[in-house]
Amino acid sequence: MVTDEFDWRECLARVRQRDEEAAALLVARLYPLVIRIVRSHLPRRAAEEDLAQDVFVKMFTRLDQYQARPGTPFEHWVARLAVRTCLDALRAADRRPELRWGDLSEEQAAWLDFMLADQSATPDTSAGSAREVIEQLLSQLPPDDRLVISLMDLEEKTVREVSEMTGWSGTLVKVRAFRARRKLRKLAQSLLSQDRYAKL
Amino acid sequence: MQNFDKQWQTVAGHARQAPGRDETAPFGFARRAVALGWQPPALRSEVLWVRLTLRVLAGAVGVLIFCAALELPHFRDARPLEPGLENTVAQIVWAL
Repeated sequence: MVTDEFDWRECLARVRQRDEEAAALLVARLYPLVIRIVRSHLPRRAAEEDLAQDVFVKMFTRLDQYQARPGTPFEHWVARLAVRTCLDALRAADRRPELRWGDLSEEQAAWLDFMLADQSATPDTSAGSAREVIEQLLSQLPPDDRLVISLMDLEEKTVREVSEMTGWSGTLVKVRAFRARRKLRKLAQSLLSQDRYAKL
Repeated sequence: MQNFDKQWQTVAGHARQAPGRDETAPFGFARRAVALGWQPPALRSEVLWVRLTLRVLAGAVGVLIFCAALELPHFRDARPLEPGLENTVAQIVWAL
């Protein structure tokens, strides 16, 4: 977990002087932040470690572009870099494989049923399966939509935070989130209709 | 749509409670990332050489295919590889 106790300024000054120890410490410090972003936006068949490594390589090569300013912590700059790297990787990835009802486990299917049902009682299944079904559905969305939903609904980022991380305007973030949820609903409905068709 | 949004947020809330995975960097990751990050960028001449080499190779393959296509109608001739032109040097080379 990244905390404020860490002396970012001193560490960055040492990294700029090519201090290898400080650089390794910086990577270890930022790894949890980067790997969380990478895992949320990882293209299929891509290795999370490779993508995280790309983020850190970019961080070192572009370090001169970072200018410490009040209200712009170094972690925010790195988070933005990680988001852009993941977005590029998602765009470059192959076509999204189609998700079918049969790909879902019973627990995941129960959550999908719940999404479209008019009920308040949640399925008696693990939180992990809720996470899995969400990831399955998100993998079907275009990269920008997937990113905005991951950040807002899974990481509970505000519109302003998403705007800072992506460089999109606040209005664009809201519009993208609205359209992405609409796509998710259509996707869930089409999956459920597959199930009903299969039962006939 | 509103109902879906409400249900979606409930599922997302449960998903957030899922146990987190290990977030510590694998052994050697930091050193590897630092080494790659500080690797000197390739020289301009090296980049140019790689680009030109690939293009020249592609061009040579193209010329080869073109020549083969020109030669194809004469493939069944008695001496298909004999130069068609009245070229003394070529004929001498062929005779050797």
